Amino acid sequence: MLQKYKLPFLLFVLLFMGAGFNAFASAGVGTDIFEKALEGVEKFWNFTGFANAHFTNFIMIAVGLFFIFLAIRYDYEPLLLIPIGIGILIGNIPFPPGNKIGLYEEGSVLNYLYFGVQQGIYPPLIFLGIGAMTDFSSLISNPKLMILGAAAQVGIFATFWGASILGFAPAESGAIAIIGGADGPTAIFLSSKLAPHLMGAIAIAAYSYMALVPVIQPPIMRLLIPMEERKIKMKPPRAVSKLEKILFPIVGLLLTTFISPSALPLLGMLFFGNLLKESGVTERLADTARNSLINIVTILLGVTVGASTQAVRIVMDPNTGEMINKGFLSPDSMKIFALGAISFVVATAGGLIFARIMNLFLKGDKKINPLIGAAGVSAVPDSARVVQAEGLKCDPTNHLLMHAMAPNVSGVIGSAVAAGIMLAFLM
Amino acid sequence: MNLLAISSETWTITILGWLIVFAALLFLVGIFLLIPKIIKLATKRALHKKTRHVGSVPAEDEMMLTGEMNAAISMALYLYFDEIHDDESNIITIKEVKRRYSPWSSKLYGMNNMNFPR
Repeated sequence: MLQKYKLPFLLFVLLFMGAGFNAFASAGVGTDIFEKALEGVEKFWNFTGFANAHFTNFIMIAVGLFFIFLAIRYDYEPLLLIPIGIGILIGNIPFPPGNKIGLYEEGSVLNYLYFGVQQGIYPPLIFLGIGAMTDFSSLISNPKLMILGAAAQVGIFATFWGASILGFAPAESGAIAIIGGADGPTAIFLSSKLAPHLMGAIAIAAYSYMALVPVIQPPIMRLLIPMEERKIKMKPPRAVSKLEKILFPIVGLLLTTFISPSALPLLGMLFFGNLLKESGVTERLADTARNSLINIVTILLGVTVGASTQAVRIVMDPNTGEMINKGFLSPDSMKIFALGAISFVVATAGGLIFARIMNLFLKGDKKINPLIGAAGVSAVPDSARVVQAEGLKCDPTNHLLMHAMAPNVSGVIGSAVAAGIMLAFLM
Repeated sequence: MNLLAISSETWTITILGWLIVFAALLFLVGIFLLIPKIIKLATKRALHKKTRHVGSVPAEDEMMLTGEMNAAISMALYLYFDEIHDDESNIITIKEVKRRYSPWSSKLYGMNNMNFPR
Protein backbone atom coordinates (compact mmCIF):
# COMPACT_ATOMS: atom_id res chain seq x y z
CA MET A 1 0.00 0.00 0.00
CA LEU A 2 2.77 2.40 1.11
CA GLN A 3 4.96 1.38 -1.85
CA LYS A 4 2.15 2.13 -4.26
CA TYR A 5 1.77 5.77 -3.19
CA LYS A 6 5.49 6.49 -2.63
CA LEU A 7 6.10 8.51 -5.79
CA PRO A 8 2.98 10.68 -5.58
CA PHE A 9 3.76 11.31 -1.92
CA LEU A 10 7.33 12.48 -2.71
CA LEU A 11 6.02 14.77 -5.48
CA PHE A 12 3.53 16.25 -3.04
CA VAL A 13 6.28 16.91 -0.45
CA LEU A 14 8.49 18.61 -3.05
CA LEU A 15 5.63 20.79 -4.31
CA PHE A 16 4.74 21.70 -0.75
CA MET A 17 8.31 22.70 0.01
CA GLY A 18 8.57 24.68 -3.23
CA ALA A 19 5.35 26.52 -2.42
CA GLY A 20 6.70 27.24 1.03
CA PHE A 21 9.92 28.70 -0.34
CA ASN A 22 7.87 30.80 -2.83
CA ALA A 23 5.73 32.14 -0.04
CA PHE A 24 8.83 33.05 1.95
CA ALA A 25 10.43 34.65 -1.11
CA SER A 26 7.32 36.76 -1.88
CA ALA A 27 7.26 37.88 1.75
CA GLY A 28 10.98 38.88 1.54
CA VAL A 29 11.98 36.64 4.45
CA GLY A 30 12.99 33.58 2.43
CA THR A 31 15.76 35.29 0.48
CA ASP A 32 17.58 35.94 3.70
CA ILE A 33 17.31 32.33 4.88
CA PHE A 34 18.20 31.03 1.43
CA GLU A 35 21.27 33.25 1.26
CA LYS A 36 22.29 32.25 4.77
CA ALA A 37 21.93 28.58 3.86
CA LEU A 38 23.97 29.04 0.71
CA GLU A 39 26.56 30.97 2.67
CA GLY A 40 26.75 28.12 5.18
CA VAL A 41 27.13 25.53 2.45
CA GLU A 42 29.82 27.63 0.76
CA LYS A 43 31.63 28.07 4.07
CA PHE A 44 31.50 24.35 4.69
CA TRP A 45 32.73 23.67 1.14
CA ASN A 46 35.69 26.04 1.63
CA PHE A 47 36.55 24.16 4.79
CA THR A 48 36.64 20.77 3.10
CA GLY A 49 39.75 19.13 1.76
CA PHE A 50 38.32 19.16 -1.78
CA ALA A 51 38.24 22.96 -1.94
CA ASN A 52 41.79 23.34 -0.58
CA ALA A 53 43.36 20.49 -2.53
CA HIS A 54 46.35 21.01 -4.77
CA PHE A 55 47.53 18.34 -7.19
CA THR A 56 50.74 17.94 -5.16
CA ASN A 57 48.64 16.77 -2.20
CA PHE A 58 47.44 13.85 -4.30
CA ILE A 59 51.00 13.02 -5.35
CA MET A 60 52.03 12.85 -1.70
CA ILE A 61 48.95 10.81 -0.78
CA ALA A 62 49.99 8.36 -3.52
CA VAL A 63 53.50 8.23 -2.00
CA GLY A 64 52.01 7.51 1.44
CA LEU A 65 49.84 4.73 0.03
CA PHE A 66 52.91 3.31 -1.75
CA PHE A 67 54.80 3.20 1.57
CA ILE A 68 51.91 1.37 3.21
CA PHE A 69 51.77 -1.04 0.25
CA LEU A 70 55.54 -1.74 0.48
CA ALA A 71 55.27 -2.40 4.20
CA ILE A 72 52.29 -4.74 3.98
CA ARG A 73 52.99 -6.50 0.67
CA TYR A 74 56.79 -6.87 0.83
CA ASP A 75 57.37 -6.51 4.59
CA TYR A 76 59.92 -3.71 4.01
CA GLU A 77 60.52 -2.10 7.44
CA PRO A 78 56.78 -2.20 8.31
CA LEU A 79 57.36 -0.76 11.79
CA LEU A 80 58.59 2.43 10.14
CA LEU A 81 56.82 2.56 6.80
CA ILE A 82 53.31 2.09 8.21
CA PRO A 83 53.57 5.05 10.67
CA ILE A 84 55.39 7.19 8.07
CA GLY A 85 52.94 6.23 5.31
CA ILE A 86 49.90 7.07 7.42
CA GLY A 87 51.72 10.23 8.58
CA ILE A 88 52.10 11.30 4.93
CA LEU A 89 48.34 10.83 4.45
CA ILE A 90 47.62 12.84 7.61
CA GLY A 91 50.02 15.60 6.59
CA ASN A 92 48.59 15.92 3.11
CA ILE A 93 44.89 16.21 3.81
CA PRO A 94 44.26 19.79 2.66
CA PHE A 95 42.75 22.22 5.17
CA PRO A 96 42.28 25.97 5.49
CA PRO A 97 45.18 27.50 7.43
CA GLY A 98 44.85 29.19 10.82
CA ASN A 99 42.69 26.63 12.61
CA LYS A 100 45.37 24.86 14.64
CA ILE A 101 45.07 21.72 12.54
CA GLY A 102 48.33 21.28 10.66
CA LEU A 103 51.66 20.05 11.91
CA TYR A 104 53.31 23.42 11.33
CA GLU A 105 50.55 25.43 13.06
CA GLU A 106 51.47 26.42 16.58
CA GLY A 107 49.18 24.99 19.21
CA SER A 108 47.91 22.07 17.15
CA VAL A 109 48.12 18.52 18.54
CA LEU A 110 50.41 17.44 15.72
CA ASN A 111 52.65 20.42 16.40
CA TYR A 112 53.03 19.32 20.02
CA LEU A 113 53.97 15.81 18.92
CA TYR A 114 56.37 17.24 16.32
CA PHE A 115 58.21 19.07 19.10
CA GLY A 116 60.06 15.83 19.89
CA VAL A 117 61.37 15.71 16.32
CA GLN A 118 62.17 19.42 16.07
CA GLN A 119 64.17 19.43 19.27
CA GLY A 120 65.84 16.09 18.60
CA ILE A 121 64.22 14.36 21.60
CA TYR A 122 62.96 11.19 19.89
CA PRO A 123 66.22 10.01 18.23
CA PRO A 124 68.19 9.59 21.49
CA LEU A 125 65.23 7.68 23.00
CA ILE A 126 65.23 5.38 19.97
CA PHE A 127 68.97 4.91 20.48
CA LEU A 128 68.31 3.94 24.10
CA GLY A 129 66.02 1.17 22.88
CA ILE A 130 68.48 0.08 20.16
CA GLY A 131 71.23 -0.13 22.80
CA ALA A 132 69.01 -2.27 25.03
CA MET A 133 68.24 -4.72 22.23
CA THR A 134 71.68 -4.93 20.58
CA ASP A 135 74.10 -7.72 21.32
CA PHE A 136 77.60 -6.39 20.70
CA SER A 137 79.29 -9.75 21.36
CA SER A 138 80.07 -10.45 17.68
CA LEU A 139 81.83 -7.08 17.55
CA ILE A 140 83.71 -7.66 20.81
CA SER A 141 84.84 -11.11 19.66
CA ASN A 142 86.34 -9.73 16.45
CA PRO A 143 87.00 -6.01 16.98
CA LYS A 144 88.81 -5.49 13.69
CA LEU A 145 85.48 -5.80 11.88
CA MET A 146 84.63 -2.46 13.48
CA ILE A 147 86.79 -0.77 10.83
CA LEU A 148 84.25 -1.81 8.19
CA GLY A 149 81.69 0.32 10.01
CA ALA A 150 84.05 3.27 9.61
CA ALA A 151 84.79 2.48 5.96
CA ALA A 152 81.10 2.55 5.03
CA GLN A 153 80.80 6.06 6.44
CA VAL A 154 82.50 7.22 3.24
CA GLY A 155 78.91 7.54 1.97
CA ILE A 156 78.28 10.37 4.43
CA PHE A 157 81.33 12.38 3.48
CA ALA A 158 80.97 11.75 -0.26
CA THR A 159 77.37 13.00 -0.05
CA PHE A 160 78.50 16.06 1.87
CA TRP A 161 80.87 16.81 -0.99
CA GLY A 162 78.16 16.09 -3.59
CA ALA A 163 75.58 18.29 -1.85
CA SER A 164 78.07 21.16 -1.74
CA ILE A 165 78.59 20.80 -5.49
CA LEU A 166 74.83 20.94 -6.03
CA GLY A 167 74.76 24.31 -4.28
CA PHE A 168 73.47 23.48 -0.81
CA ALA A 169 74.81 25.57 2.08
CA PRO A 170 77.42 23.77 4.25
CA ALA A 171 74.96 23.16 7.12
CA GLU A 172 72.35 21.82 4.68
CA SER A 173 74.97 19.61 3.00
CA GLY A 174 75.93 18.18 6.39
CA ALA A 175 72.31 17.34 7.19
CA ILE A 176 71.75 15.74 3.77
CA ALA A 177 75.02 13.81 3.98
CA ILE A 178 73.91 11.84 7.01
CA ILE A 179 71.45 9.90 4.79
CA GLY A 180 74.57 7.93 3.77
CA GLY A 181 74.78 6.67 7.35
CA ALA A 182 71.55 4.73 6.72
CA ASP A 183 70.44 5.59 10.20
CA GLY A 184 67.02 7.25 10.50
CA PRO A 185 67.25 8.59 14.08
CA THR A 186 70.74 10.02 13.45
CA ALA A 187 69.50 11.67 10.23
CA ILE A 188 66.58 13.28 12.09
CA PHE A 189 68.79 14.33 14.98
CA LEU A 190 71.36 16.00 12.73
CA SER A 191 68.87 17.66 10.39
CA SER A 192 66.91 19.05 13.37
CA LYS A 193 70.10 20.81 14.42
CA LEU A 194 71.59 21.81 11.05
CA ALA A 195 68.72 22.22 8.58
CA PRO A 196 65.26 21.90 10.18
CA HIS A 197 63.57 23.07 6.96
CA LEU A 198 64.92 20.00 5.12
CA MET A 199 64.14 17.51 7.85
CA GLY A 200 61.03 16.02 6.20
CA ALA A 201 62.83 15.26 2.93
CA ILE A 202 65.95 13.96 4.70
CA ALA A 203 64.00 11.69 7.05
CA ILE A 204 61.80 10.32 4.29
CA ALA A 205 64.84 9.70 2.05
CA ALA A 206 66.77 8.00 4.88
CA TYR A 207 63.88 5.73 5.90
CA SER A 208 62.92 4.91 2.30
CA TYR A 209 66.43 3.82 1.40
CA MET A 210 66.73 1.90 4.66
CA ALA A 211 63.57 0.03 3.72
CA LEU A 212 64.98 -0.60 0.27
CA VAL A 213 68.26 -2.10 1.53
CA PRO A 214 67.27 -5.58 0.22
CA VAL A 215 66.79 -4.05 -3.23
CA ILE A 216 69.75 -1.62 -3.37
CA GLN A 217 72.58 -3.66 -1.86
CA PRO A 218 72.59 -7.11 -3.59
CA PRO A 219 73.44 -5.82 -7.12
CA ILE A 220 76.37 -3.78 -5.73
CA MET A 221 77.59 -6.84 -3.79
CA ARG A 222 77.50 -9.01 -6.91
CA LEU A 223 79.21 -6.33 -8.95
CA LEU A 224 82.13 -5.71 -6.59
CA ILE A 225 82.80 -9.11 -5.02
CA PRO A 226 83.86 -12.07 -7.18
CA MET A 227 82.09 -15.39 -6.57
CA GLU A 228 85.25 -17.00 -5.12
CA GLU A 229 85.45 -14.39 -2.37
CA ARG A 230 81.74 -14.53 -1.67
CA LYS A 231 82.19 -18.16 -0.65
CA ILE A 232 84.83 -17.49 2.02
CA LYS A 233 83.89 -19.16 5.30
CA MET A 234 84.79 -17.26 8.43
CA LYS A 235 86.00 -18.68 11.72
CA PRO A 236 83.16 -18.89 14.29
CA PRO A 237 83.34 -15.99 16.74
CA ARG A 238 84.78 -16.77 20.17
CA ALA A 239 82.58 -16.71 23.25
CA VAL A 240 82.64 -13.33 24.94
CA SER A 241 82.81 -13.09 28.72
CA LYS A 242 80.26 -11.13 30.74
CA LEU A 243 82.98 -8.78 31.92
CA GLU A 244 83.83 -7.83 28.32
CA LYS A 245 80.16 -7.24 27.55
CA ILE A 246 79.84 -4.92 30.56
CA LEU A 247 83.07 -3.11 29.76
CA PHE A 248 82.10 -2.47 26.14
CA PRO A 249 79.37 0.17 26.72
CA ILE A 250 81.40 1.91 29.43
CA VAL A 251 84.65 2.07 27.46
CA GLY A 252 82.79 2.74 24.20
CA LEU A 253 80.88 5.64 25.75
CA LEU A 254 83.97 7.23 27.27
CA LEU A 255 86.12 6.89 24.16
CA THR A 256 83.66 7.89 21.45
CA THR A 257 82.13 10.82 23.30
CA PHE A 258 85.51 12.21 24.27
CA ILE A 259 86.38 12.21 20.55
CA SER A 260 83.00 13.50 19.40
CA PRO A 261 81.09 15.14 22.29
CA SER A 262 78.42 16.51 19.92
CA ALA A 263 77.16 12.96 19.45
CA LEU A 264 76.67 12.60 23.22
CA PRO A 265 72.83 12.44 23.14
CA LEU A 266 72.95 9.57 20.65
CA LEU A 267 76.00 7.64 21.83
CA GLY A 268 75.25 8.28 25.50
CA MET A 269 71.80 6.76 25.15
CA LEU A 270 73.01 3.89 22.94
CA PHE A 271 75.64 2.75 25.42
CA PHE A 272 73.36 3.44 28.39
CA GLY A 273 70.74 1.14 26.88
CA ASN A 274 73.37 -1.51 26.26
CA LEU A 275 74.63 -1.33 29.85
CA LEU A 276 71.04 -1.78 31.07
CA LYS A 277 70.95 -4.99 29.04
CA GLU A 278 74.38 -6.36 29.83
CA SER A 279 74.63 -5.45 33.51
CA GLY A 280 72.07 -8.17 34.25
CA VAL A 281 70.67 -6.29 37.25
CA THR A 282 68.40 -3.81 35.47
CA GLU A 283 66.33 -6.21 33.40
CA ARG A 284 63.12 -4.26 34.07
CA LEU A 285 64.59 -1.03 32.74
CA ALA A 286 66.16 -2.79 29.75
CA ASP A 287 62.84 -4.43 29.02
CA THR A 288 61.02 -1.08 29.03
CA ALA A 289 63.69 0.54 26.85
CA ARG A 290 63.67 -2.17 24.19
CA ASN A 291 59.91 -2.72 24.11
CA SER A 292 57.41 -0.14 25.38
CA LEU A 293 59.60 2.96 25.14
CA ILE A 294 61.02 2.34 21.67
CA ASN A 295 57.57 1.34 20.39
CA ILE A 296 55.93 4.53 21.69
CA VAL A 297 58.70 6.74 20.32
CA THR A 298 58.69 4.93 16.96
CA ILE A 299 54.96 5.58 16.60
CA LEU A 300 55.31 9.28 17.44
CA LEU A 301 58.43 9.73 15.32
CA GLY A 302 57.03 7.88 12.30
CA VAL A 303 53.69 9.68 12.22
CA THR A 304 55.12 13.16 12.78
CA VAL A 305 57.95 12.73 10.28
CA GLY A 306 55.41 11.48 7.75
CA ALA A 307 53.07 14.37 8.50
CA SER A 308 55.92 16.85 8.06
CA THR A 309 55.85 16.16 4.31
CA GLN A 310 53.04 18.65 3.73
CA ALA A 311 52.97 19.27 -0.03
CA VAL A 312 51.66 22.82 0.25
CA ARG A 313 52.88 25.09 3.02
CA ILE A 314 52.48 28.80 2.38
CA VAL A 315 54.82 30.88 4.53
CA MET A 316 56.12 34.42 4.42
CA ASP A 317 59.61 34.83 3.01
CA PRO A 318 61.59 36.57 5.77
CA ASN A 319 63.69 38.44 3.17
CA THR A 320 61.08 39.66 0.68
CA GLY A 321 57.88 39.48 2.73
CA GLU A 322 56.20 37.57 -0.10
CA MET A 323 54.05 34.49 0.52
CA ILE A 324 55.85 31.46 -0.86
CA ASN A 325 55.21 27.74 -0.95
CA LYS A 326 57.66 25.88 1.30
CA GLY A 327 56.01 22.55 0.68
CA PHE A 328 57.68 19.16 0.52
CA LEU A 329 57.62 18.72 -3.25
CA SER A 330 60.36 21.08 -4.29
CA PRO A 331 63.47 20.77 -6.48
CA ASP A 332 65.52 20.61 -3.27
CA SER A 333 63.61 17.51 -2.10
CA MET A 334 64.26 15.82 -5.45
CA LYS A 335 67.98 16.62 -5.17
CA ILE A 336 67.99 15.21 -1.62
CA PHE A 337 66.40 11.97 -2.84
CA ALA A 338 68.97 11.65 -5.64
CA LEU A 339 71.85 12.37 -3.26
CA GLY A 340 70.45 9.88 -0.75
CA ALA A 341 70.40 7.11 -3.36
CA ILE A 342 73.97 7.88 -4.43
CA SER A 343 75.19 8.03 -0.82
CA PHE A 344 73.69 4.62 -0.12
CA VAL A 345 75.43 3.11 -3.11
CA VAL A 346 78.75 4.77 -2.21
CA ALA A 347 78.49 3.66 1.44
CA THR A 348 77.81 0.04 0.45
CA ALA A 349 80.62 0.08 -2.10
CA GLY A 350 82.97 1.66 0.46
CA GLY A 351 82.36 -1.13 2.96
CA LEU A 352 82.74 -3.88 0.35
CA ILE A 353 85.95 -2.49 -1.17
CA PHE A 354 87.50 -1.92 2.24
CA ALA A 355 86.70 -5.52 3.21
CA ARG A 356 88.55 -6.70 0.10
CA ILE A 357 91.51 -4.47 0.98
CA MET A 358 91.53 -5.91 4.53
CA ASN A 359 91.74 -9.39 3.06
CA LEU A 360 95.02 -8.48 1.39
CA PHE A 361 96.57 -8.22 4.85
CA LEU A 362 94.85 -11.21 6.46
CA LYS A 363 96.12 -14.75 6.14
CA GLY A 364 94.57 -18.23 6.20
CA ASP A 365 91.43 -18.72 8.28
CA LYS A 366 91.58 -15.10 9.44
CA LYS A 367 90.36 -13.90 6.04
CA ILE A 368 86.94 -12.26 6.07
CA ASN A 369 84.08 -12.66 3.64
CA PRO A 370 83.99 -9.27 1.87
CA LEU A 371 80.19 -9.38 1.70
CA ILE A 372 80.04 -8.37 5.36
CA GLY A 373 81.50 -4.98 4.38
CA ALA A 374 78.07 -4.04 3.02
CA ALA A 375 76.66 -4.30 6.55
CA GLY A 376 78.82 -1.35 7.61
CA VAL A 377 75.99 0.99 6.56
CA SER A 378 74.23 0.70 9.95
CA ALA A 379 70.57 -0.05 8.88
CA VAL A 380 70.43 -2.61 11.71
CA PRO A 381 69.67 -5.48 11.20
CA ASP A 382 68.46 -5.30 7.60
CA SER A 383 71.85 -5.02 5.91
CA ALA A 384 73.20 -7.92 8.01
CA ARG A 385 70.21 -9.98 6.88
CA VAL A 386 70.91 -9.07 3.25
CA VAL A 387 74.53 -10.23 3.70
CA GLN A 388 73.30 -13.52 5.18
CA ALA A 389 70.91 -14.04 2.26
CA GLU A 390 73.59 -13.27 -0.35
CA GLY A 391 76.09 -15.53 1.41
CA LEU A 392 73.60 -18.40 1.43
CA LYS A 393 72.94 -17.93 -2.29
CA CYS A 394 76.63 -18.57 -3.01
CA ASP A 395 77.08 -21.36 -0.48
CA PRO A 396 74.05 -22.75 1.37
CA THR A 397 76.25 -23.78 4.32
CA ASN A 398 77.86 -20.38 4.82
CA HIS A 399 76.07 -18.42 7.55
CA LEU A 400 77.34 -14.86 7.76
CA LEU A 401 74.69 -13.25 9.95
CA MET A 402 76.67 -13.14 13.19
CA HIS A 403 79.80 -11.91 11.39
CA ALA A 404 77.80 -9.23 9.55
CA MET A 405 76.29 -7.98 12.80
CA ALA A 406 79.72 -6.71 13.87
CA PRO A 407 80.17 -4.10 11.08
CA ASN A 408 76.43 -3.47 11.28
CA VAL A 409 76.45 -2.29 14.89
CA SER A 410 79.78 -0.55 14.45
CA GLY A 411 78.09 1.32 11.57
CA VAL A 412 75.59 2.68 14.11
CA ILE A 413 78.46 3.92 16.28
CA GLY A 414 80.31 5.22 13.22
CA SER A 415 77.36 7.19 11.85
CA ALA A 416 76.68 8.71 15.29
CA VAL A 417 80.34 9.75 15.53
CA ALA A 418 80.14 11.19 11.99
CA ALA A 419 77.00 13.13 12.99
CA GLY A 420 78.88 14.53 15.96
CA ILE A 421 81.76 15.57 13.71
CA MET A 422 79.35 17.29 11.31
CA LEU A 423 77.76 19.15 14.22
CA ALA A 424 81.16 20.20 15.55
CA PHE A 425 82.24 21.53 12.16
CA LEU A 426 79.00 23.15 11.03
CA MET A 427 77.09 24.38 14.10
CA MET B 1 80.86 21.96 -12.91
CA ASN B 2 84.09 23.27 -11.44
CA LEU B 3 85.21 20.99 -8.66
CA LEU B 4 87.95 23.41 -7.67
CA ALA B 5 85.29 26.00 -6.89
CA ILE B 6 84.28 23.99 -3.82
CA SER B 7 85.34 25.78 -0.68
CA SER B 8 88.31 24.58 1.30
CA GLU B 9 85.93 24.05 4.25
CA THR B 10 84.09 21.37 2.26
CA TRP B 11 87.32 19.56 1.43
CA THR B 12 88.45 19.81 5.06
CA ILE B 13 85.21 18.37 6.44
CA THR B 14 85.08 15.64 3.80
CA ILE B 15 88.59 14.36 4.35
CA LEU B 16 89.17 15.21 8.00
CA GLY B 17 85.69 14.07 9.02
CA TRP B 18 86.16 10.61 7.54
CA LEU B 19 89.62 10.32 9.05
CA ILE B 20 88.27 11.21 12.50
CA VAL B 21 85.54 8.53 12.23
CA PHE B 22 88.25 6.06 11.24
CA ALA B 23 90.51 7.17 14.08
CA ALA B 24 87.68 6.88 16.64
CA LEU B 25 86.79 3.36 15.59
CA LEU B 26 90.45 2.32 15.24
CA PHE B 27 90.95 3.51 18.79
CA LEU B 28 88.02 1.32 19.91
CA VAL B 29 89.45 -1.61 17.94
CA GLY B 30 92.81 -1.18 19.71
CA ILE B 31 91.16 -1.05 23.13
CA PHE B 32 89.01 -4.09 22.47
CA LEU B 33 91.94 -6.08 21.15
CA LEU B 34 93.73 -5.23 24.37
CA ILE B 35 90.92 -5.93 26.86
CA PRO B 36 90.70 -9.73 26.24
CA LYS B 37 94.48 -9.95 26.61
CA ILE B 38 94.33 -8.18 29.97
CA ILE B 39 91.44 -10.39 31.12
CA LYS B 40 93.34 -13.50 29.95
CA LEU B 41 96.43 -12.39 31.83
CA ALA B 42 94.43 -11.86 35.01
CA THR B 43 92.70 -15.24 34.61
CA LYS B 44 96.03 -16.94 33.99
CA ARG B 45 97.49 -15.39 37.11
CA ALA B 46 94.49 -16.48 39.18
CA LEU B 47 94.67 -20.01 37.75
CA HIS B 48 98.39 -20.13 38.41
CA LYS B 49 97.77 -19.42 42.08
CA LYS B 50 95.05 -22.06 42.32
CA THR B 51 96.88 -24.80 40.39
CA ARG B 52 100.31 -24.27 41.95
CA HIS B 53 100.08 -27.55 43.88
CA VAL B 54 97.73 -29.38 41.49
CA GLY B 55 99.28 -29.24 38.06
CA SER B 56 100.01 -27.02 35.10
CA VAL B 57 98.02 -24.00 33.92
CA PRO B 58 95.92 -24.78 30.80
CA ALA B 59 97.34 -23.64 27.47
CA GLU B 60 96.10 -20.42 25.89
CA ASP B 61 94.14 -22.29 23.22
CA GLU B 62 92.29 -24.26 25.89
CA MET B 63 91.20 -21.05 27.58
CA MET B 64 89.60 -19.70 24.39
CA LEU B 65 86.11 -21.03 23.80
CA THR B 66 84.11 -20.51 20.63
CA GLY B 67 80.36 -20.07 20.71
CA GLU B 68 80.01 -23.52 19.14
CA MET B 69 81.98 -25.14 21.98
CA ASN B 70 79.86 -23.29 24.52
CA ALA B 71 76.72 -24.52 22.81
CA ALA B 72 78.04 -28.12 22.82
CA ILE B 73 78.92 -27.95 26.54
CA SER B 74 75.52 -26.44 27.36
CA MET B 75 73.74 -29.16 25.39
CA ALA B 76 75.76 -31.92 27.10
CA LEU B 77 74.99 -30.49 30.53
CA TYR B 78 71.33 -30.11 29.67
CA LEU B 79 71.08 -33.72 28.50
CA TYR B 80 73.00 -34.95 31.56
CA PHE B 81 70.73 -33.16 34.02
CA ASP B 82 67.69 -34.24 32.05
CA GLU B 83 68.69 -37.90 32.42
CA ILE B 84 69.09 -37.78 36.19
CA HIS B 85 66.05 -39.08 38.08
CA ASP B 86 64.68 -37.56 41.22
CA ASP B 87 65.21 -39.51 44.46
CA GLU B 88 62.09 -41.54 44.99
CA SER B 89 60.93 -43.64 47.98
CA ASN B 90 60.25 -46.75 45.87
CA ILE B 91 57.09 -47.47 47.97
CA ILE B 92 54.05 -47.75 45.80
CA THR B 93 50.82 -47.44 47.76
CA ILE B 94 47.27 -46.47 47.16
CA LYS B 95 46.39 -43.53 49.25
CA GLU B 96 43.89 -44.38 51.91
CA VAL B 97 40.73 -42.38 51.60
CA LYS B 98 39.07 -41.47 54.86
CA ARG B 99 35.64 -40.00 55.03
CA ARG B 100 34.73 -38.22 58.20
CA TYR B 101 31.27 -38.95 59.57
CA SER B 102 28.69 -36.26 58.97
CA PRO B 103 24.94 -36.47 59.54
CA TRP B 104 24.55 -34.83 56.13
CA SER B 105 26.05 -37.82 54.41
CA SER B 106 24.86 -40.41 56.89
CA LYS B 107 23.32 -43.49 55.35
CA LEU B 108 21.21 -44.03 58.44
CA TYR B 109 19.17 -41.00 57.58
CA GLY B 110 18.94 -41.66 53.86
CA MET B 111 15.66 -41.49 51.99
CA ASN B 112 15.78 -45.25 51.46
CA ASN B 113 15.48 -45.87 55.17
CA MET B 114 12.24 -43.98 55.58
CA ASN B 115 9.30 -46.20 56.39
CA PHE B 116 7.05 -45.09 53.64
CA PRO B 117 3.93 -47.19 53.13
CA ARG B 118 4.50 -49.35 50.08
